[in-house]
Amino acid sequence: MPRSSPAEPAGPPLAGGADPVLHVEALHKAYGALEAVRGIDFQVEAGEIFGLIGADGAGKTSTFHILAGLLNPSAGTVRVLGQPPRQARSRVGYLTQSFSLYPDLSVEENLRYVAGLRRVAEGDIEERSRQLLPQMGLGAFGDRLAGQLSGGMKQKLALCCALIDRPEVLLLDEPTTGVDPVSRREFWDVLARLAGETVTILVATPYLDEAERCHRIALIHGGRIRQVGTPEALKQGLGLTRLELRCTQRAQAAALLEGAAARDPDGPGSIVDVQTFGDRLDVLVRDADRGVAEVRDLLQRRELTLENLQITSPTLENVFVTRLRQEGAQPQPLAFPRSGERRQRTDPAIAARALSRRFGSFEAVRQVDLEVGYGEIFGLLGANGAGKTTTIKMLCGLLEPSAGQVTLAGQTSRLRSRELLGRIGYMSQKFTLYDDLSIRQNLAFYAGVYAIPRALRRQRIDWVLASCGLEGRGDMATGQLPGGWKQRVAFGAAVLHDPEVLFLDEPTSGVDPVARRQFWGLINDFARAGTAILVTTHYLEEAEQCNRVCFLVAGRSVIEGTPTAVKAAQPGHLYELLVPPGDTQRAADLLRRRWEPWRVGIFADRLHLVLDTAEPELEEVRRLLDEAEIRIQSLHAIPFSLEDALIGTVQRAAGAPP
Amino acid sequence: MSSRIRAQCVKELLQFRRDRLTLGLAFLLPLLSLLILGFAIRLETKDIPIVVQDLDRSPLSRSYTDRLFATDQFHPSRWRGDDPVGAIDRGRARAAVIIPPDFSRRLKAGKASTLQVLVDGTDANNARVIRNSIQATTEFFLQDQGLIATTPPVQARTRLWFNPGRKESLYIVPGVYAVVLWIFPSLLAAIAMVREKEKQTILQVYASGIGAGELLLGKGLAYLLVGGAMAGVVMGLGSLIFSVGFAGDPTPLLVGTSFYLASAVCFGLLLGVRSASQNAAVQGVSLIGFLTALLLSGFIYPVSNIPFPLSLVSAIVPARYFILISRDAYVRGIGWPGVGFDVLVVLVSGLVLFAAARRSLGAMQLDEGAGR
Repeated sequence: MPRSSPAEPAGPPLAGGADPVLHVEALHKAYGALEAVRGIDFQVEAGEIFGLIGADGAGKTSTFHILAGLLNPSAGTVRVLGQPPRQARSRVGYLTQSFSLYPDLSVEENLRYVAGLRRVAEGDIEERSRQLLPQMGLGAFGDRLAGQLSGGMKQKLALCCALIDRPEVLLLDEPTTGVDPVSRREFWDVLARLAGETVTILVATPYLDEAERCHRIALIHGGRIRQVGTPEALKQGLGLTRLELRCTQRAQAAALLEGAAARDPDGPGSIVDVQTFGDRLDVLVRDADRGVAEVRDLLQRRELTLENLQITSPTLENVFVTRLRQEGAQPQPLAFPRSGERRQRTDPAIAARALSRRFGSFEAVRQVDLEVGYGEIFGLLGANGAGKTTTIKMLCGLLEPSAGQVTLAGQTSRLRSRELLGRIGYMSQKFTLYDDLSIRQNLAFYAGVYAIPRALRRQRIDWVLASCGLEGRGDMATGQLPGGWKQRVAFGAAVLHDPEVLFLDEPTSGVDPVARRQFWGLINDFARAGTAILVTTHYLEEAEQCNRVCFLVAGRSVIEGTPTAVKAAQPGHLYELLVPPGDTQRAADLLRRRWEPWRVGIFADRLHLVLDTAEPELEEVRRLLDEAEIRIQSLHAIPFSLEDALIGTVQRAAGAPP
Repeated sequence: MSSRIRAQCVKELLQFRRDRLTLGLAFLLPLLSLLILGFAIRLETKDIPIVVQDLDRSPLSRSYTDRLFATDQFHPSRWRGDDPVGAIDRGRARAAVIIPPDFSRRLKAGKASTLQVLVDGTDANNARVIRNSIQATTEFFLQDQGLIATTPPVQARTRLWFNPGRKESLYIVPGVYAVVLWIFPSLLAAIAMVREKEKQTILQVYASGIGAGELLLGKGLAYLLVGGAMAGVVMGLGSLIFSVGFAGDPTPLLVGTSFYLASAVCFGLLLGVRSASQNAAVQGVSLIGFLTALLLSGFIYPVSNIPFPLSLVSAIVPARYFILISRDAYVRGIGWPGVGFDVLVVLVSGLVLFAAARRSLGAMQLDEGAGR
């Protein structure tokens, strides 16, 4: 883990301070008939981290290509550092969405190549790589082939390459997708430091928790910017309060509250929106007091017990979803056409004992135990390469375990038998649809493979189309669908036969928050009908949707339990510290000298601080900042997120950083 | 040399060295092709099976039969039936010679006799060769037996220049060089170019502000060096295995080979720039390469036989000119006065291909319509 090093000098000071570094006005980009970008405007000031937040197909990458000078806009004005993008190329570092380095070259060779292309003087290359690589934690890996680096290290290498020419502007297109949470935090710490050195950063991300670390963000959807502002302002601008409810019989409570929200969307009632999570409900209300009263009243009338209710602020996801809903159409959840009621079962649907798998000398999965009941949503979490996919493959019989035992839907052997396969659904990470067939043909193919009775086939295929919002478009070629839609169709194909056990491997990567919510609506529907669901994801915010979760780190399970229990088990406290804007980086550096670096994170203009004890350490924080003459504007405790919990656990397990 | 070109070239060579596929393409496959083409292609037919039906059964007819089989051109077919036509029908013999029952009697009486010769005309070229051969053998037989007294008043005395022993490898092997040294360098260059697009690494290259010319020169230079090594191996081993040596001044070949390799690399780069996937690039390069270098270059079939308008295509195939250079170096030995022009043509073809590739790369931006 890199210790923060003394600030390096940034590029030459910017001329004429007042001009924005990035200036985008009425930008349009069309590919033939497809309009990817439909008139966006934004400006980014020097030293700012500006986030473009949106799903796949929102128009982010096209915007980046244009800003990097790789693509000409169809219409509109774009200025980078006061120049047309093509002329500014030498002053801009671009980290592309796909890893655009050479896996068969070593770390140093990649760096040298990019430096050569960008005409960095021979002497400078040596010096700067000696400086950059250790900063990114790659100091010891100069000779390693880039293809053999972990996802997080690859992205850090890509960032080194983008920084070798000392750019004034950094364009980062989804730099942390699929990267493990610890590396993601480190990556953002580096970005925060660079911004402190007046490097201007435009970053695209599908992770809403990362959006919190930007100074300003723009919500982009369907080629248009829907909202711009600081994360705080956006959340406050929503004018809503979020209530976290924990109660028994969540499903009934959710149905009840949803009914209230739907009854009078603009009426006198206070409830605006209800979202089901793995072990709680989130209710958005217009007014905190009236909302609480209304919720309590509704639940009491049905004699549902409320265990716990917390009043808190809305999340960025709430902002995004509310905003997009105002735009209109979204497919309504539809009940799946089932052939009959399923009997309740209490035996575990999936059970694994001491499951291990090695590939040669590499231990991909080590001694994993887990148990998933019917009707339960179980989240298998971890970064790319943590062993999630290997575990799933062993659980559904695609891969023989090296050691340990698997029980699947009551069977311990012959997991690939035809009879058992007919009761299992599996949606893999890679699309399993045929691009050159139409959507309907794809679904008909899977209906045939699973031998679904003819009478049900049409009904279920229509259900998939309707629940994806694709009615009447069944004859479209599947290849023409954007990523997010394709995933929903793939989900539909995986559940056509109404499986008892459903494996979902990264079902929601690249899907926008509205679609993702709808996706989870479908998953919940299947769980309520008694299907056991095992889902993997690297979005930790999404893990809140699961009833129980299990974190894998390097093939080992490190935490298991309900999301609330996992967060509650996290020792220590999380504090948010606000200091004057110019002092953020200095305060972080100061605190990192006293505490381990992972305990201190920069979130835009705030600092997050993980302390094991409350008062004694807080006193020390105040004293240290006071001595450095940094004024504390606010310092208060905030709740842990699942990600905080995971990072804390991993870092404590790893012991003191090097 | 600009630092960008050098950086590009060094990177290409590093990648080339790490990849087994490209290493195989650069050294193993060219050698294999050299051996296959060098040994497999034989234009002159030898050991043609023919069947002789001797109805005469006299010493004279037997001595005629012996004379036929005395050369290595014909050998008796293993046909055991009595109908020679059947032997041709079943493909057991390419020709049948039928000696009439009164053959020796009529000859001894000083009368003319007829031999019936049936030749399988399926392979028109070889049918002619067989016919001429049987005629020549018959004439020689008559002279030998003293059945023709007078010598003809005009006799053509021919002498074969450059290749007096009619050694066939001298004709084939220099041509093989032209095929191999075109196909493989262009394949390597095309793969190197299209892979950047397929793996999206081209984005980084575009964003760096490197010019199209610099990118092409860097990549081209790297594969020119690889091609040079390939040429050294192929030509060195080829000379040893097929025992062909320089006939004269080797400098036109040296210069010509460099230009030719450069031209092949530029051709590969051009196709790499224009294709969207590695598959398309490999198929395009090998199909066009084999068709032109094998069929339209004069490697096997004389260029002068190619009809209009295909002859126009043949005229712009660099392999056609390189074959002349290569054959001059190994067979004719005339040197610069003989092939100076051809060296120039190869150079011009390289420059044209380079300009085309550069034009196709255009502004070093993404194609419109390529999407995300």
